[in-house]
Amino acid sequence: MPTFVWTDKCDGCKGAGVAACMYICPHDLMKLDAERMKAYNQEPEQCWECLCCAKACPRQAIEVRPGADYVPMGGATIPVRTDSAIKWTIRFRDGEVKHFEFPSRTTPVGSIDPYGGKPAAGNLNDQRFFTEGGKTLPTI
Amino acid sequence: MPVAERTFENPEIVEFSTDILIIGGGMACCGAAYEARRWAPEGMKIIQFDKAALDRSGAVAQGLSAINTYIGDQKPEDYVRMVHADLMGITRDDLVFDVGRHVDDSVHLFEEWGLPIWKAKGSEGVPLKDGGKPVRSGKWQVMINGEGYKTIVAEAAKKALGAQNVFEHVFIAKLLLDKNEPNRIAGAVGFSVREYKVYVIKCTAAILAAGGAVNVFRPRSMGEGMGRAWYPVWNAGSTYAMAAEAGAELTMMENRFVPARFKDGYGPVGAWFLLFKSKATNGFGEDYVSKNAALLAEFAPYDKASTVPTCLRNHAMLKEMKEGRGPIMIDTPAAMKALAAKMTPEEIEHLEAEALEDFLDMCVGQAAFWAGMNIRPEETPSELMPTEPYLLGSHSGCCGIWVSGPEDLSSPAEWKWGYNRMTTVKGLFTAGDGVGASGHKFSSGSHAEGRIAGKAMVKFATDNKGFKPAFKQDVKAIVEEIYRPVRTYIEHKDKTTTEDVNPFYITPKMFQMRLQKAMDEYVAGISTYYQTNKKMLEHGLHLLKMLWEDSLHLRGKDLHELMRAWENRHRLRTAEAHLRHILFREETRYPGFFYRADFPKLDEANWHCFVNSRMNPETGEWTMMKKPWKGLVEHSTQKKQVEHSTQKKQVEHSTQKK
Repeated sequence: MPTFVWTDKCDGCKGAGVAACMYICPHDLMKLDAERMKAYNQEPEQCWECLCCAKACPRQAIEVRPGADYVPMGGATIPVRTDSAIKWTIRFRDGEVKHFEFPSRTTPVGSIDPYGGKPAAGNLNDQRFFTEGGKTLPTI
Repeated sequence: MPVAERTFENPEIVEFSTDILIIGGGMACCGAAYEARRWAPEGMKIIQFDKAALDRSGAVAQGLSAINTYIGDQKPEDYVRMVHADLMGITRDDLVFDVGRHVDDSVHLFEEWGLPIWKAKGSEGVPLKDGGKPVRSGKWQVMINGEGYKTIVAEAAKKALGAQNVFEHVFIAKLLLDKNEPNRIAGAVGFSVREYKVYVIKCTAAILAAGGAVNVFRPRSMGEGMGRAWYPVWNAGSTYAMAAEAGAELTMMENRFVPARFKDGYGPVGAWFLLFKSKATNGFGEDYVSKNAALLAEFAPYDKASTVPTCLRNHAMLKEMKEGRGPIMIDTPAAMKALAAKMTPEEIEHLEAEALEDFLDMCVGQAAFWAGMNIRPEETPSELMPTEPYLLGSHSGCCGIWVSGPEDLSSPAEWKWGYNRMTTVKGLFTAGDGVGASGHKFSSGSHAEGRIAGKAMVKFATDNKGFKPAFKQDVKAIVEEIYRPVRTYIEHKDKTTTEDVNPFYITPKMFQMRLQKAMDEYVAGISTYYQTNKKMLEHGLHLLKMLWEDSLHLRGKDLHELMRAWENRHRLRTAEAHLRHILFREETRYPGFFYRADFPKLDEANWHCFVNSRMNPETGEWTMMKKPWKGLVEHSTQKKQVEHSTQKKQVEHSTQKK
């Protein structure tokens, strides 16, 4: 079930230095054809359909076309992601369309202060995390 | 002299040193980065390498709809008991308990950082750490809105370490041992998949946690569906392979996981069974687990565990399939109808959304499959199918590396020889899928275990401050080994009219298919209904040996394919370890996952023990070992005898050279 890229929507992330899909794909599948400034999936049979590329694409140019070796044609699952939620459009083969929206994050992106307000490191020789300083760890 | 232009043929060699090296970018390594940086004194250098981008790498890249390990108001001892029973009695209680006593701290951090966790009625908005009650989809699972789970965890790790210390799109291919001290880690070598750069890194301590192994066996879908694996297809066995080749002792590599999932889309069934209370039946509507109770009793006492072990449920399912009573169906309409009977129309609509969210958060492909098939769960039942085998140590499997455990538990001395989560190679640590004999950690447990290792590495690096790592080989030879597939390609590519068919090399893709075919046909894959025997395994080993010889002729036509070449070499080494362990364990411990047809019974008297192995990194010879099991809590399956006496003799069964 590989991803594919709409020719008319993809601009190769020109101006951004690196194509968003190429940067984010966990399996190094998305590749930029620098001459055409269009991205494509260079190894469709290795695609996990995680849609990380589609979610990262600033132009919503990427979709997934269900694997031709086992899924009948016509369905679609299309994400649109914001910083706090993800919206899905599901289109069934018979034409029915459903929409869903789910939260994805309760804090602003980039707002994590990893050690802010956290205890300093304690005793390096015991078994506690630095966040567990006041805790007595159970044993067996 | 001007610096020569860097090209595919002439990469830059980047050498540097660090105190702590983190290999991997998933939950475990993000946990390691977060904890280690806090304990490390100023000036102690920590760097991380990820073959992809930290935001979306590892097994949680796509997201998850549940956190499968949260202890809450339950006892870590009971978690230890569950893990032990599900994995047929052979797990390390010390390691599992250690995860159990720490894991909630990581879950509380995730929530603080921004992960939405579902709350039970009456405690909406109250964080878990302040007593908020989660929505449990099972005894240990909590429901989340987890589409962005990994991006959140990665943000914390990257900020903790400093973005300049995280090297993305760099694939680590090999660990390097120390020249002066045997069996000690000195560094690692890898290459960028974006720039013409080879990295040669020296370190005092390293954590290797780069996931499990997927696509080692021929999968059920061989076209575009090949990548739609259950576990992430980018898990290439790098953790097990690199550790084995450095001489680290592996444990329980015979264990595998064969999840029964929605057929073809491989969507999760947990919420359907646990949250929506669906029933699964054979093609004629019979409950195959209760029907086959007598069959499962052959694997007593595990059949009487409070939850029937996963492999035994598969065993019952496979009997129905083999005897022609498929397809196995899950009755989603009946479950939703039963739930809807007590609900308002709004609640029913919400239920339908929840049912689909379960897929959309973590397995979009299953939703796409249903859309393409016009399957609506409230109207149409779905088919279940056991998948091709997977190798992993963090989900419901327990293969991996043998590690030292926490020193404050009443475990045998042989389980705590060194630093927590350190392997038998000095200075080399692991976590998550890397740690063997302790499954059911899942995402949260892997993060917590990475933190355990992270702290221990800082202690190790502190205690070994004066260590000066030195490599056995010279850097040029190391780089040439890594770049061999590129040299092979360039030397031979023009000799034939099409570069994909050439007698001088093998493409990584065909190499992988050869591996998958051999594993499927001889090492208990789907085509034999997961059955094998000594003769089949010996033939399989013969095929793998020839494949190993041919790995010298792998092709790398670009940086992408160079990575595929190394990934598949890692798959092969992992497959070899799996095969050797299955060959050594002469019993059927995990029916439903695989069968030794020549030893079809469970043999508690002789095999209630760990199987460990070590490959000699100098000679390539493998040594197989039995290691005694010990319970640290009372297990209902082991009431009569807490400790099984097993022969401690070390048995060599192979002298295969590299």
